[in-house]
Amino acid sequence: MSEPDAATASIALPEQRLHPLSWLFVLVQQLKQFLIPIVVLLVFGRGDRNELWGLLAVGVLALFSVWQYYTYRYRIEADSLVVRSGLLERSLRQIPFSRIHNVALHQSLLHRLFGVAEVRLESAGGTRPEAEMRVLRLADATALEALVRRHARSAPASTDAGDAPHDGVSQDDTNELLHLPLGEVVRVGMISNRGMLVVGAFFATLTQVNPNLMGEPVERFARSLVAWLDLHRFGVAQYVLAIVGFVIAGVALLQLLSIALAVLQYTGFRLIETGPRLTIERGLLTRIRTSASRRRIQAWTLREGLLHRLLRRRSVLVDTAAAQHQSEQRAFRELAPVATPARADALLRHVLGTTDWPPVTWHPLHPRAGWRLAIPGVFVALGLAGVLAFNFGAWGWLGLAWLPWSGWLAHRNAARSGYALQGELVAVREGWWSRHWRFAELDKLQVLRIRRSPLDRRTGMATLWLDTSGAGTFAPPLRIRFLPVHEAQALHARLATEVARRPLRW
Amino acid sequence: MDPTEPASPATLDVPVDAAATWQGLPVAARTLFTLSGAALAIPAALAARVFAGVFDLAWPWATTAIAAILAGGWAAWLGHRRYRYTRWRLDADGFSLRKGRLWQSDIRVPVNRVQHLDLRRGPLERRYGLATLVIHTAGTRDSAVNVGGLADADAEALRDLLARQAEHDRLHAS
Repeated sequence: MSEPDAATASIALPEQRLHPLSWLFVLVQQLKQFLIPIVVLLVFGRGDRNELWGLLAVGVLALFSVWQYYTYRYRIEADSLVVRSGLLERSLRQIPFSRIHNVALHQSLLHRLFGVAEVRLESAGGTRPEAEMRVLRLADATALEALVRRHARSAPASTDAGDAPHDGVSQDDTNELLHLPLGEVVRVGMISNRGMLVVGAFFATLTQVNPNLMGEPVERFARSLVAWLDLHRFGVAQYVLAIVGFVIAGVALLQLLSIALAVLQYTGFRLIETGPRLTIERGLLTRIRTSASRRRIQAWTLREGLLHRLLRRRSVLVDTAAAQHQSEQRAFRELAPVATPARADALLRHVLGTTDWPPVTWHPLHPRAGWRLAIPGVFVALGLAGVLAFNFGAWGWLGLAWLPWSGWLAHRNAARSGYALQGELVAVREGWWSRHWRFAELDKLQVLRIRRSPLDRRTGMATLWLDTSGAGTFAPPLRIRFLPVHEAQALHARLATEVARRPLRW
Repeated sequence: MDPTEPASPATLDVPVDAAATWQGLPVAARTLFTLSGAALAIPAALAARVFAGVFDLAWPWATTAIAAILAGGWAAWLGHRRYRYTRWRLDADGFSLRKGRLWQSDIRVPVNRVQHLDLRRGPLERRYGLATLVIHTAGTRDSAVNVGGLADADAEALRDLLARQAEHDRLHAS
């Protein structure tokens, strides 16, 4: 997507409408929500004669879409966007450019065919975007995006604005920070294992629609399989071979599906820096372009799972305070889906504008944190062994063999976990098998809380929770677990003072 | 945390300095917490009566009474503890709240992170001259910090002070 410089010309123009074809996309959007149920019902359903009602509903929806097009108008003013909308209940929204945290452009294949894009403007908090324009001409959309970017930059450093131009990037330089070639995209697929989710969702939907659909064929298949096995009488080695082969084939299929999905979603991934603003572009058929100002980033996550480690890659994720619960797809989240550890660190240093990452010293947890972390494993092992012993007699107590393994894992985890305070950063690292680093700048911290369970009090430990804005549900919490209680309290007091000295800037 | 009885300041000139001391809740809060805990006796009694009826126990009314006394007494004791182990403090850095004995929590809200404040008074709280202060921040998990059982005057003083401080900090952010 190019960036035409038409933004300045469009300031203080009269009211504008959406793209004339926008009703079509509104209709498609609304139909999409019913599409899967309708198709599933038609294909697998028990044939009610209600298709006519469906057609009628589509007609009504189309009418509403056209009506919506005629009632939606927007106007660009000196420092805000004014949107008039509503069918019966009219609303007028004034959105100051300085309040907009994220700008997201979304182009499906259909959008690209007509040269249009969907635009979402998101501010901090709330669950709905400030404005959702479905759809604008691509040129208008990019012009609007450029306008927001310009305003974010020139906004007076009064209330909560105030960009810190960190490194030597001049204001209009566009600088590509990361680009994923096809090989990397394949790695994204292998690591993400998205295929599993899709297959799981597929079966879940099937069983929801028609429970018999799953039961009958599976039962029939199982019966014929047993009959076939009865006929041939294979040896144990052959069974083992067959099972192993089956598992490998399944994993390979899932991986292929994951890779295909990643190719669809991440082809052409680029992370671009324009002045203080970061932009992410990606997608093969559906193009997504989302941008946010660098100082809007609230917290950072660096992930390294087992597959990451095998492929020598890490992922860099960020939280922004914008409303993005609805569609994770276009959220400003993945700065780098995969990058080599060195590349990820360099990227973080660049975007953070500091040399403090990675921290030099990591402070350890409480000396006995390993034992503390092993406690859940004890219960798991006891439960497992109990169930097994109940079903299979004395041999079931072999389930206790889980205990040394989980205990060892807990100790490795505790030995690797720790926290660091360096410069403006407070960082936590956790995990050994699957690792993550989580950190935030001091001026992004909110409420600081120490928690102690009865067990913590017995062992003289405490956990310090640091709250940040917009922490995703799946993001690991920014918390320092199982510190010696005095250290936790000292850190608590120190951080509270440090945070109170720094004004909130987001 | 020492379990001594806290003094109950009726009116408080909130000191904003680093040497600010921990404040307890007013005595009225003890009454309210204990009473609202004891109210658990009612659902417990109902549940016990139904249970006794369904399973045809020998002394249904005695069972009901015992369940009510046990549940109500236990919850009242919890309410009393909640009163005893809640402390708050306002100093130059912000608002602090300590609560709980079994599950302890020590919360600090830096004063310049306060977004807005709510003062809530339920019917019972109004009767006892108490109020609940809710401190909202931009955070995620701790985006609302509830301080229940404050004396009315304290709650209002805290709200005004925190609001003024937050406003002041926002104006001088740059």
